[in-house]
Amino acid sequence: MPNLNRKHVYLSLVTALLLQLLPFSGILLQIKPDFLLLVLLFWLLRAPNICNIGVAWTAGILMDLVTGDVFGQNALAYAITAFLAVMYQRRLILFTVLQQSVYVLLLLFVNQVILLLLKSFSGSEYFGWTYFVPSLTGIMLWYAVLHSRVSVHIMARQQ
Amino acid sequence: MDQQQAPRFFIHGPSPFVRLIVFSTLSLALMASDSKFSYLTPVRDALTVALQPLQVVANSPFVLYKNIGDYFTAQQALRNELYRLKKQAIFQSIQVQAMQSLKGENDQLRTLMQASKVSSQQSRLAEIMHTGRDPFSHKVIVNIGAENHVLAGQAVVDGAGVIGQVTRVFPYSSEVTLLTDKTLSIPIQVERNALRAISFGHGRDNVVNLPYLPANVDIQKGDKLVTSGIDGIYPAGLAVAMVDSVKTNVSSPFAQIIAKPMAGIQNHRQVLILLSDTENLVAKDIQQVLSADAQKQSDLKQKSEKGNDAKP
Repeated sequence: MPNLNRKHVYLSLVTALLLQLLPFSGILLQIKPDFLLLVLLFWLLRAPNICNIGVAWTAGILMDLVTGDVFGQNALAYAITAFLAVMYQRRLILFTVLQQSVYVLLLLFVNQVILLLLKSFSGSEYFGWTYFVPSLTGIMLWYAVLHSRVSVHIMARQQ
Repeated sequence: MDQQQAPRFFIHGPSPFVRLIVFSTLSLALMASDSKFSYLTPVRDALTVALQPLQVVANSPFVLYKNIGDYFTAQQALRNELYRLKKQAIFQSIQVQAMQSLKGENDQLRTLMQASKVSSQQSRLAEIMHTGRDPFSHKVIVNIGAENHVLAGQAVVDGAGVIGQVTRVFPYSSEVTLLTDKTLSIPIQVERNALRAISFGHGRDNVVNLPYLPANVDIQKGDKLVTSGIDGIYPAGLAVAMVDSVKTNVSSPFAQIIAKPMAGIQNHRQVLILLSDTENLVAKDIQQVLSADAQKQSDLKQKSEKGNDAKP
């Protein structure tokens, strides 16, 4: 297992949170992928000894704070998604990029479905399939990053 | 010595399943306490203030972009705007003069009729920092908060009409729920015939609707809806929305009325927060209810005492 630097993992998570905070509006807000969850999944699959379910949960709490949601909504969704990622982590790292992407797409969907359920408990209304567009743009970003092998360079520099 | 330590590969700590259970329970507990008991409000406020620098950093590229855009505005455009504003100022100063004489007259008439005077409201300029990040709710964050005496419940307006209401206040920022949000309702009046109703946010499409009005209600397309002022939060007469469509359905006893907000909810940066005394109003309400309750109870006591006297 590569001996990844803790600092880099946390720094990338903070950067992802910053990306999440960018004041998008209109159509951009609707297609914006969940940057934080993508980075979390990336590290959950590659460095499960540093980035575990607890880190995912903390990131979710921070998301709740910045979005002003009910405390614990995003945290619960992230924790469950992280658990599903960690459960098959050993097998997933042996998969090809395409196979991994399919599983990650599934995880992104699961995350959004959990959030949708929690929000409908608090009285929000489901507004059609466009709610799931961020998952699709998210997986495109994931595939683009992994396929272009940018991540390999990043990992190589950290070792 | 090093060989006796287990390799890093095998160090795990608690299993993923245990962690999942622990963290899910924790978040469920947090959700319950936050939504039902609001114990966590101070914790939340403190953490939000701690995260403020991150917000500022995230907003900075957009602020920079806007500043650069402002700097390079063409001279012609500035001249045009100056001309337009001057013209507007002249027209409005005439209107203000007329209004002042009317106000004096109105006050005098009110004192004659011994009615209470309508107090003018103070307001404070706020700038929208960013829109809310939740696609489910229509909210914006503005740049003044508890430090500038903003209170939850105060009305927020722009030049054209009502935008919404302050729903949450942090030390240096506050959250404004727009009138198109599903959870916000505003007491309104149709300007044409003074019919009272309540407008509810639609939650989608940036419109509001007026439910619970009978199918034969006298509202037409193009009617202007203004605040009625009977809630004590929104001053009377502020423009809220323009009726866009009135539909009646045979199967429903109610009319389906959709109205478009007058204020530019989507495209302004500066808004006004009306600093009304909502706290005092609420306190007054509570006092009234309490005194009424006390009155009732003393009445009941007297009655029961009378009953007891009558029995023996």
